[in-house]
Amino acid sequence: MVTRRRGAGTALGRNNEPPLLILTSLASGEKHGYALLRDIEAFAGVVLGPGALYGAITRLEERGLIEPIPSEDRRQPYRITSSGRAALAGAVREMRALSDEGAARLGLREMVRGRAPRPLRQGATP
Amino acid sequence: MTQSDRFERMLKWFPPAWRARYGEGLRALLEDSYGDGRIPWRARASFARSGLGERVRESGLAGDVSGASQQLRAGSLLILCGWSAFMAAGAIFAKVSEHWSYSTPVVSRAVPVVGYGIVTWAGAIGVALVAVGALAALPSLIALLRRGGWPSIRRPTQRAVITCAVVAVLTGALAGWAHFLSPQDRNGGLVAYEVAFLVWSTVVIVALAVGTGSVVAVVARLDIPLKRVRALSMAALALALVMVAVLGGVVVWWVSESSAAPSFLRDNIGSGIVPLFRTFSPTMVVAVTFMVLGLAVALKGVARVTRTLRSADVTPGAAA
Repeated sequence: MVTRRRGAGTALGRNNEPPLLILTSLASGEKHGYALLRDIEAFAGVVLGPGALYGAITRLEERGLIEPIPSEDRRQPYRITSSGRAALAGAVREMRALSDEGAARLGLREMVRGRAPRPLRQGATP
Repeated sequence: MTQSDRFERMLKWFPPAWRARYGEGLRALLEDSYGDGRIPWRARASFARSGLGERVRESGLAGDVSGASQQLRAGSLLILCGWSAFMAAGAIFAKVSEHWSYSTPVVSRAVPVVGYGIVTWAGAIGVALVAVGALAALPSLIALLRRGGWPSIRRPTQRAVITCAVVAVLTGALAGWAHFLSPQDRNGGLVAYEVAFLVWSTVVIVALAVGTGSVVAVVARLDIPLKRVRALSMAALALALVMVAVLGGVVVWWVSESSAAPSFLRDNIGSGIVPLFRTFSPTMVVAVTFMVLGLAVALKGVARVTRTLRSADVTPGAAA
């Protein structure tokens, strides 16, 4: 069983989950549903179903992380809110910390950013 | 059927309130994504899953609900949903175990009698708990109707009444047929009756699901005082204990009957449909599967209720 600390990043789910992908996509500017699907497919290689996309949009809007923009078109565009930016920043920091830790432990010097790897616990295999 | 009709039909998976808010944007997304082309089954599945998810969220059974009263209500209703799976399993078990004692040697009856007794008594207690819960919610239902709230509960009530009527008609037809059959034909001897019985069982299970959904939809619209919700949630916790007892009793009966009277289980209904089942009663497998699934749902409700009861804002006298 995995117990997660409650925080902005973990509240958005794993890094391939729709809420995080949508926030990441909207961080570069407002988009409607179809543009979101294409953008997410381009930068993450994840093909979201329309139902999954709108389910996640509903949750994000309920939590005030994104908001709809008034539009004359039938396509409804959305933009990220300041709370959404904060939540995304928290998630990115958390993923970065995990990424750095993994790189340090694997000895991937080109990926480690100015930190020494933590010493392994006694008895742990290197 | 035009493509627009197809999109419209897919949108029906979602609840009306959700469609009013997001339907137009989602319809535009479907047009952009698929145009006049074929809609992949994965997209249809994504729609069905998301739409049903929204319906469950709207009922308050899942997702974030605010307030101790709503949390307790959601947890209690989850336990009730688990109980409805037990009702279906109980009906199957009642059919499987019909006249079991005649096929079991007297010297081997002690253990199955204990298991069967646990199921019978725990089941009766469960039914009584649900009846008490329904009575406790009745004043709130009457108050809703007096306020002119019938339109808000008309559709789920109609659905429940129609499915009950269908079950009643089918039950009458099946019972009428069974009246002209020998006990052997009724218990696996006549394949046509087996198939009819399985169809009837499926309809009953669907009716139970529809009925439970209707109860959830109606209860979501009731204004129940926190003190009563708290009492109902305690009854729901007791119901979850009853489910554990029923499942335990069924397992004890099944295991003991497997060694005491294996031919009784082998000759049971459904055993001839697949050759493999000749040695393993499929109806018992289905019954226990329903119970395990029901218990899993109920345990989610138990976790929600106990978490809320532990919090400070449900102490007697606190506001909802």
